[in-house]
Amino acid sequence: MTSEFVFATAQYESGDWDSAPLLPANVIDTIARYTEIAVAPTGVVVALNDDRMLRYPLLYLTGHLPVRFSDAERRNVKRFVERGGMLFVDDHNHDIDGTFHKTATEEIARTVAPLAELPNDHALYSAFFKFDGPPTTSHELNGWGDNLVHKHLLAVRRAGKIAVLFSNKDYSSEWNYHPESKRFLTVDNTKFAVNLVVYALTA
Amino acid sequence: MRSRRSNFELACRLAAFAVLGWLLGGSMMRSSGRRVERASTSALASRLPTWTRAPSSVLLHADLATTPEARVVDWLAALERSGHAVTWSGAPPAVAMSSEPLADPQGGVRIELAAPARTSVVLRDDASVVDSVRVNQLGAAIVTPLVVGTLVGDAGGQRFSAPAPDSAHLRAIVVIGNAGWEGKFIVSALEERGWPVVARFRVAPNVDVTQGVALPLDTGRVAAVVATDTTIQSLGAALERFVRSGGGLVLAGSAGLAPAVAPLRPGSLGARTRPSALPVDTIGLGATGYYPVAALNGDGVALDRRSGGVAVAARRVGAGRVLQVGYDDSWRWRMAGGPGSEAAYRDWWSRAVAAVAYLPDAGVKIAESATESAPLANLVDRLGPPQPTAADKTPRPPVDGRLLLVLIMILLLTEWGSRRMRGLR
Repeated sequence: MTSEFVFATAQYESGDWDSAPLLPANVIDTIARYTEIAVAPTGVVVALNDDRMLRYPLLYLTGHLPVRFSDAERRNVKRFVERGGMLFVDDHNHDIDGTFHKTATEEIARTVAPLAELPNDHALYSAFFKFDGPPTTSHELNGWGDNLVHKHLLAVRRAGKIAVLFSNKDYSSEWNYHPESKRFLTVDNTKFAVNLVVYALTA
Repeated sequence: MRSRRSNFELACRLAAFAVLGWLLGGSMMRSSGRRVERASTSALASRLPTWTRAPSSVLLHADLATTPEARVVDWLAALERSGHAVTWSGAPPAVAMSSEPLADPQGGVRIELAAPARTSVVLRDDASVVDSVRVNQLGAAIVTPLVVGTLVGDAGGQRFSAPAPDSAHLRAIVVIGNAGWEGKFIVSALEERGWPVVARFRVAPNVDVTQGVALPLDTGRVAAVVATDTTIQSLGAALERFVRSGGGLVLAGSAGLAPAVAPLRPGSLGARTRPSALPVDTIGLGATGYYPVAALNGDGVALDRRSGGVAVAARRVGAGRVLQVGYDDSWRWRMAGGPGSEAAYRDWWSRAVAAVAYLPDAGVKIAESATESAPLANLVDRLGPPQPTAADKTPRPPVDGRLLLVLIMILLLTEWGSRRMRGLR
């Protein structure tokens, strides 16, 4: 057990938690590429109903299907947030009328607190790279989902710090490719992941 | 050859004359010494006006079970300065008390007591009873969240006091290190406690993430620096100047390995310990290993020992204090500890920082007059050490002179009666 940053994907009972299997490796590659942060070379998957999820203060949760936490999952998520963890939830449907959005936001409101719009000048957007708001993804207007460009992320904040970050941008699709493929991109579309991790580690 | 009866008669006569001589001698001795006016602690205050009018030839003596209140001591000292002979005797308890604010945003007062061993002391302030304590050895210390007005101690009737200290005006805490969970959660703990925190975390070469306004490293702005790793090396000589001028320094984890802190650290660091078995459920402080202090410096003090060595050590450097905390992933205790670990983690780190933080205007408070804070010391200072009077040195038997005269009469009548019964005159 070391103190290096470990990218952790949350496993929950109700949905397809593993719908973006290449994302962790890609984010880890990005962190190692741009920062000095000591990062574990591989990510982990932690079950939300297991107390060991508390060992990973940044958790990534995604899926397409309805989200319904079990009692154990709900209890652990509540403790996780109260103790200072940050849960990053990404709607793989990029659809505000979709089942993931509706059920996940409801579950977060029930477990932690209702989500609210995160201002686009929040420290998250300048934690490392400078953004004017959440970077758009090529998937938002791909004909699926709600076909909207989502101008804000949603968040639950505790003592001014983000405890739950909710995205309809579908970063799960945007970042779900092999890290080696980055070289084919003119602009690295995973830079916002650095902001996410740096914010979680420093705010 | 004298008869037995005549011997008895002679004895009665000699005894009568002996008693008469003792009575006369005592009377002559008393008339030749100084008159002594005595008063006990309880009667002393009411006797002072009388003593003030007494001629200076009268010896004024106080028998003290407890030290009298300040105005009485002042009065006695004034009498002595005006030419009266003033002495005192007794053994009032030697007590003293001081108070000082804690370096903690949530306030708190530390009360230091000095009293003889096994003395019970009850502390009150203007609002209520604060606490009671039994002194075991030289003294005792109490931490209380609040003191209202004046703090008054009572040790078996001996009262002493100290004023409530002013609340401390705290400077910022600077947390420095590589971006990571340890620094993040230390900042969280300190902020939750109420400390103003300035954080500087290294993210990439020449890229630091700062939280709060960067401050120059001096005790006018900064109370303490917390370093989570060797990035503290970047502070260079400014750090040593800061500590020597009174600033606090907490070297957490590997921070003690930085060359810049070698003259400051309580001891050299050894290799990081690792537990033979990792905890499978909840994680406690130090459960996943730590950097032990391999060799303490001469004036370093071990504060926390674990199976692998010293985990926490402290040292004074100039006017400042340095704490070496071997734990480099204490955040796991907060996140993955048992119930209450979040609060325990917050308290632990806040206490660690408070132990070294620079506290401006934090002079120890004693009463304006030492009479209240350390009554016996003040009494000795004003009137000198206790001394018995001449009367104390040659104590008289508490016998009424009239009884002695009756005794003489009985002896002489017995002798006369015996002689008459023998037919003698």
